Amino acid sequence: MMKSRFHKGGGMLALSAMLLSACQSGEQTPTPEELAMSPDGGTTACPSQVLWGDTHLHTSNSVDAVFNGVRLTAEDALRFARGDEVRSTTGLDAQLSRPLDFLVVSDHAEVIGIGRRIADGDPELISDPTVRRWHEMMNESYAQSTRAARELIVGYAQDTLPEILADPDIARETITSTWAEHVETVERYNDPGTFTSFIGYEYTSMPTGNNLHRVVMYRDGLDVFGETLPFPANQSQDPEDLWAYLAAYEERTGGRAMAIPHNANLSNGLMFAMEDFEGNALTRDYAERRQRWEPIVEVTQFKGDGEAHPSLSPDDEFADFGNTGWDTANLDASIPKEPGMFEGEYARAALQRGLLLESLLGVNPFQFGMIGATDSHTALATGDEDNYFGKFVSDEPNATRAAHSIGASIRGRLGWQYLAGGYAGVWAGANSRAAIFDAMARREVYATTGPRMTVRMFAGWDLEDADLSADPCSLYDRAVPMGGNLSGTGDAPRFLVTAMMDPEGANLDRVQIVKGWLDSDGELQERVYDIAWGDADTRSVDDDGRLAPVGNTVDLEAATYENSIGDPELSAVWTDPDFDPAERAFYYVRVIEIPTPRWPVYDRLRFGAEISEGTELVSQERAYSSPVWYSPEA
Amino acid sequence: MESRWRSWLREPLVHFLLIGLLLFLVLGRSGTGHPEGYSIRIDDDQIARIAANWERTWQRPPTAEELDRLIDGFVREEIYFREALRLGLDEDDIVIRRRLRSKMEFLARASVESEAPDDSVLQQWLDDHPETYAADAVMTFDQIYLGEDGEEADIRAALENGTDPQELSATTRLPFSMAGASRSAVERQFGEAFAGAIDAELIGEWQGPVQSGFGAHLVRLRAYDAGQTPTLADVRQRVENDWRDATAAQREEEAFALLRSAYSVEIEGRD
Repeated sequence: MMKSRFHKGGGMLALSAMLLSACQSGEQTPTPEELAMSPDGGTTACPSQVLWGDTHLHTSNSVDAVFNGVRLTAEDALRFARGDEVRSTTGLDAQLSRPLDFLVVSDHAEVIGIGRRIADGDPELISDPTVRRWHEMMNESYAQSTRAARELIVGYAQDTLPEILADPDIARETITSTWAEHVETVERYNDPGTFTSFIGYEYTSMPTGNNLHRVVMYRDGLDVFGETLPFPANQSQDPEDLWAYLAAYEERTGGRAMAIPHNANLSNGLMFAMEDFEGNALTRDYAERRQRWEPIVEVTQFKGDGEAHPSLSPDDEFADFGNTGWDTANLDASIPKEPGMFEGEYARAALQRGLLLESLLGVNPFQFGMIGATDSHTALATGDEDNYFGKFVSDEPNATRAAHSIGASIRGRLGWQYLAGGYAGVWAGANSRAAIFDAMARREVYATTGPRMTVRMFAGWDLEDADLSADPCSLYDRAVPMGGNLSGTGDAPRFLVTAMMDPEGANLDRVQIVKGWLDSDGELQERVYDIAWGDADTRSVDDDGRLAPVGNTVDLEAATYENSIGDPELSAVWTDPDFDPAERAFYYVRVIEIPTPRWPVYDRLRFGAEISEGTELVSQERAYSSPVWYSPEA
Repeated sequence: MESRWRSWLREPLVHFLLIGLLLFLVLGRSGTGHPEGYSIRIDDDQIARIAANWERTWQRPPTAEELDRLIDGFVREEIYFREALRLGLDEDDIVIRRRLRSKMEFLARASVESEAPDDSVLQQWLDDHPETYAADAVMTFDQIYLGEDGEEADIRAALENGTDPQELSATTRLPFSMAGASRSAVERQFGEAFAGAIDAELIGEWQGPVQSGFGAHLVRLRAYDAGQTPTLADVRQRVENDWRDATAAQREEEAFALLRSAYSVEIEGRD
């Protein structure tokens, strides 16, 4: 049994009415702008192309970003994301190689705007000696400002900040004026059909330095959103209180919101724990709420990649990506990791846990889709290795950022361990708030580590090779797209997967399906299948089931690579050979590119940057689709 | 002319400057003041220091254009700094020095935020920047993908023979045809190089090979419309956003020019 993606009735009626009027006006089909501006925002239209965006970006409104030197505003961030050239805080001309289709400016909700007030030397604030010291450090140099930022982060995580920053009147006044200006700016840049800007913020929960952050994102514009204020973590660190706040918002306004967790890899096992925030066992009600409010997770960004870990997936030769430096401690490195924590952190393990919890609770709390983002604190949403502007302004392009330590208090993390960021690929019917939000809510989205590969997946019972040449829009009646659900009794599900390279980027090495399942002994299992690969005429699978590596054309001196290996497109219809209809499972697609240079290689070429021993210079970028879940029919 | 003065007088930045002037007149030269007064001279040593600072980061000397920009930035900071001294602020306070500049820039911007530009202003902006707002070119074409093994000569021969072009295309998920597609839509699918390499003049014939990120193609362009300039109604918000952003910078420039006009600036090596 599967749900048809397109609801009969309402949505189709709206679309038909619009198409009818378009016909009457003498046009064939609505333009992208017309579709995006139609009454339902084009949300029920068949997605014909994938839209690219960043859901996680900070500007000078974020306390930690401004302490770290950024002076760019939300307006600068929006202009940059939509493709304009913008001057970075350090004075460099910055521009994306291609515009993004959408952006969520997600400044930290916690006393939003106060960092700028400190930087400007607001007399009320700098009456406190620690704040005054920070004010002077912020204006002296980036190095000093970064030190002040470090003190701020540690102070916040350990709950030892100067009292004046917690003064409710100061806080309220700063928050309301900053937020009102911010929302007005976001609204001005929303351009349906061309570029969508979302209202959003970051809820920065980090109990004792364990990362439970979520980006909150609204489907609505200012007319519905009105004077709603962000929900800050200093009000409660328990995400269930955030969900309650969002529920109240929807009740009051009729609008819609979601929360997107990130950096589970720095939560020390808490993000996907088997207990709630209070330490109680999870309940069915909890699972329903979590599913409702958190349909997707940001699994890859500057601060590491959280899809898989080699210690959890020793047979997965690609599991060791973006882990180094991030897998030893929590966010502020105040607490080292202990065995058993990874299972509550990495996406694949969390998805597996979800299957187990579903069998116990009846509902899967960890039934999430996957996206990538940057988490840039420079206001520049760059996800490209050759255009990496760093996490903080102190890491904007320079000769020392790759080799230096991230900070004395952040044990063992080095600059090069930052990834150049990811993006979210969204199969939305149109470029509008409604369509993009709804695609995320139904999980028809995927993560990439930066490159804009086109990845599409359908899962059903009767898909065949011939369907590879069918119009994808015709498949929605017979199959579910990524993010969907299947349940059945007998046949093995079939997966139709297509992947295309980023036209400005590198060829593909291979396409894989990652399966996780709960076996009949109650054990969680996983297996990675290579379902299609480039250079298939010369590459084969050995006796151990290993596919020969694709090779490596990277020239480290020139920071280039050749597309003489791999293939530009790969596709397959694959049937699960190990299917057991009694075992609940998930399947997601992972697409791997051929090797390409990492950003430190470009730094060495451009600035003669020092490359310290152990720096990873080459990586194979990848995409992770949202899973399709299978459950045995009740 | 008169109304222009009136609107100037309303601006907060001008008030700020007038207050500064008033303080100067009423209080005299309070504060330490800088010995050189209203004359700034950037000599070769100073220029060399500025260039060396740049070279430390970028591992190369600045280009002539970059150096000019750096020198101008230095002069600007010097002027704001001296104005700060005239307001009685501590000479050595680097924080004050930077803050004053950002404060004045902020004031210039703030004065623009609150204005609601009327249509004639925005229409002028639109008229002055046609390329920025011109809609993308729109094209209709078919393409034959050569793939790994396709030979151009063979394909052209087959086309001459009347073979259906779609049969000659190697397997790909790229669309065989795009109809009424904007240039950005074409770039999104095929990459920038492809869209740029299509010859808009060659309508109806198979041109190529045209390179995309995926390989080589033969392309038959059926229709090409250069982008039209939209009406103000189509793009009003975008135009207003851009006007605000640029005008804020312009207002700041005008305010700075006013300050600068009181100074004589001499830079060695420049006329």
